Amino acid sequence: MDQPFEDVWAECEDLFAQARQTLASLKESQPAYVVQASVNALFRTTHTLKGMAGMLGFPSFSRSAHRMEDIFDLMRKGRLRSTDSLAETLEAGMQALEAGLEGLKRGRPEPEDYLHGLRRELGELEALARPLSGESQDLSALLDLPAEPLKALSDYERTRVTSALMDGIPIHGLVVCLDFATFDGRLRRFSDGLAHQGEIISTLPWEVPEDREGLAFMILIAGASLDLEVLAAEPGEILEARLLADPVRVPQSLRAEVPAELESSPLPVEPEPEAPTTPVSQESEILRLPAQRVEALEARLMSVAQLRDSVSGLLRGWGGDKTEAPLEILGEMEAGLLNVQKALLQMRMVKVDTLFSRIEPMVRTLSRDMGKPVRLTLQGGDLEMERGIVGRLGEPFLHLVRNALDHGLETPEERRALGKAEAGSLRISASQRGRSIRFDIRDDGRGFDLARMEEKGLAMGLLQPGLSASPERLHRLALEPGFSTLDRASQISGRGVGMDVVRAEIETLGGEILLSSEWKRGSLVRLTLPLSRVVVGCLKVRSRGQTFGIPLGNVLRVQVGREVYHGGDKVKVLGLEIPFESLQVCLGQGDPPEGQRAFVVLSQPGGTAGASLEIALGVDEVQGRAEILLRSLPELAQIPGIMGGSLQEEGILWVLDPEVVLGLAMDSLMRRVAHV
Amino acid sequence: MSEGGVLILGRAAGRDLLLNASDLIEMLPAVPVTPLPGPLPGIAGVILYQGEFLPVLDWVALPGWEQSLAEATTLAVLKRRLALPLEFLSGALEAGHEGVRIDPSGDDPWAPFLSAICTFEGSTLPLLDPDKLIDWLHHRRTER
Repeated sequence: MDQPFEDVWAECEDLFAQARQTLASLKESQPAYVVQASVNALFRTTHTLKGMAGMLGFPSFSRSAHRMEDIFDLMRKGRLRSTDSLAETLEAGMQALEAGLEGLKRGRPEPEDYLHGLRRELGELEALARPLSGESQDLSALLDLPAEPLKALSDYERTRVTSALMDGIPIHGLVVCLDFATFDGRLRRFSDGLAHQGEIISTLPWEVPEDREGLAFMILIAGASLDLEVLAAEPGEILEARLLADPVRVPQSLRAEVPAELESSPLPVEPEPEAPTTPVSQESEILRLPAQRVEALEARLMSVAQLRDSVSGLLRGWGGDKTEAPLEILGEMEAGLLNVQKALLQMRMVKVDTLFSRIEPMVRTLSRDMGKPVRLTLQGGDLEMERGIVGRLGEPFLHLVRNALDHGLETPEERRALGKAEAGSLRISASQRGRSIRFDIRDDGRGFDLARMEEKGLAMGLLQPGLSASPERLHRLALEPGFSTLDRASQISGRGVGMDVVRAEIETLGGEILLSSEWKRGSLVRLTLPLSRVVVGCLKVRSRGQTFGIPLGNVLRVQVGREVYHGGDKVKVLGLEIPFESLQVCLGQGDPPEGQRAFVVLSQPGGTAGASLEIALGVDEVQGRAEILLRSLPELAQIPGIMGGSLQEEGILWVLDPEVVLGLAMDSLMRRVAHV
Repeated sequence: MSEGGVLILGRAAGRDLLLNASDLIEMLPAVPVTPLPGPLPGIAGVILYQGEFLPVLDWVALPGWEQSLAEATTLAVLKRRLALPLEFLSGALEAGHEGVRIDPSGDDPWAPFLSAICTFEGSTLPLLDPDKLIDWLHHRRTER
């Protein structure tokens, strides 16, 4: 795809991500001006999406985005009130557009109407917002302003004045007189400060007082009160606030139900202690860069690191007192380089929450449409993944969530009959496993009907008659193209075109998918995705002349003593007897003839101390902790037990994959017992 | 067989061979190879290349190898992300200038990863096929 088109797609994805966040915020209790700022932002987003779709040549998408833009316009003009159900409809609308965009990216044809599934809800909203008399009310005449500036107000600004007054919110005017040289920056500063106190409706040019030079403006703001102190005017600047319209002057017949807190609080009220939401005007600048530039920078940085290593090697070769200071400086340089590498890595990463924020509304909509109440739990949203991977997980998760709700969870009646809670449980968790991220999608529904799957698998020729298939094999049938045990497809799923898409996408990303279930107890779908680079906290150890890192999350204890251990021995740690095996043996390098005095107790994560698998892993030396930038090994160089490596001053440090090493150690111990 | 392009003539594992230049990213002066912390047939170790680990072929693991391995002076980096240590580079020739190409004989121990045997100035030279070589390496891994 052409770079400019790539950029437009990426920008559309960003816009949808922002819209998701903003829409979610609409359901939180927030001051009216914050809601207004959010609605304005959504209006601009849909407007931009409409334009971009037109530019890319997708007229139907452009029309649907335009319809959403109209709804947001009605909201910002106060003709639709922000409620939870409205926010849900809007979420569903934006979700439909986003899914449509994903389809377009994959080369699918444009549907006639992206919002077809919401036509009833959107029609109702549009009808609701239509003014009964055919024209809308205008209360801007209540503003205590001269005729000229009053005439200068736009339709939108008049609508906002009217809406605020009808909601019982006073309109204030703040006259600011500023120096020619600095007026733009100062005006922006005042606007930002005021954005925390209410909704800025307009900034009008104002007459400069006779004894002054410079520029003057009148900022119209809807809010309970104004706090000028926080604006921190500089010497010589004039700030003058006045009440332009009091809602008590709005005829009673036109007044909306006034919020209790405004009714009971005489002016002036205390300003908001802190702004809960960053106003739109303070959004930070987003810099878009082609990924190749960051990669090139990483490669250059690596060359610098290699130079540093060469210099360090030379200095060590020379030896002597005079090399100590330069070596110390090189050590600092190494720390600095790691920080820059981490910062570069950070630039590619986004939180898993960005994926979760798409799942939540999806689950809510499906739960409502299917009449199946769901308790959704999301864990691990703080983990970070490469942006590119997160972007490609949207569709697989859509299929997985649909399947869980449609096939997995039973209806409330069925659940009651089974003695289960009426609301089904869907738990989605993300956890980092070395250089991989693992997603577990668990439901407490009916599980896979393996007997039915076997029957279907035989009928489709996926299984050989007469040969019994393992539960793993039967579960994997669900990932075959066209495989479905449902005789009839529902609107949601069951056409057998979902899980193979999930599998294809996950495998394209170099990941793995594992299915398991217990009949009538629930199912687990586990996705394991590799991270190309990640910073890992490790315990550094030496074994057979090489340096290794053991991820700290798997290290239970470290012990260095006088006693010498050999493979197959038992070591006593805190009263427990733990089998000992040498790391050398696990890596196929043979037994260390002299035995080993140092060991690291490795534990399988997730288990409790009593139940987990533990091994005392023999090493030659324990060097301490380090934070390292882990690089994965290419497939041709992958060896069991090693998840990747990191370039260190002393050469490459190999990072162990603790789970695999535990398995290798257990295999070796069993061979010892069997004398094989 | 090869239409246009350049063939690189080098020596590895005591044997002259040809590499298609279009299969290569670049030729590098040899750098120390870090051995992997465990046995892996066909791979001598890794080097750091463009910020990533790059596996380096171990000619010793290839069938038919009987001589002592001379020190490599050059690394040929294949597009399929494998470095081949070469004892030296003899030169390059325009593809089409080599003589008749014949399918590698089954007697040649390198036959599984050659695309042809070419004749050039009276010598027969094996033309390495990187895809076949890498498939062979993968096969060796799965055999273990």
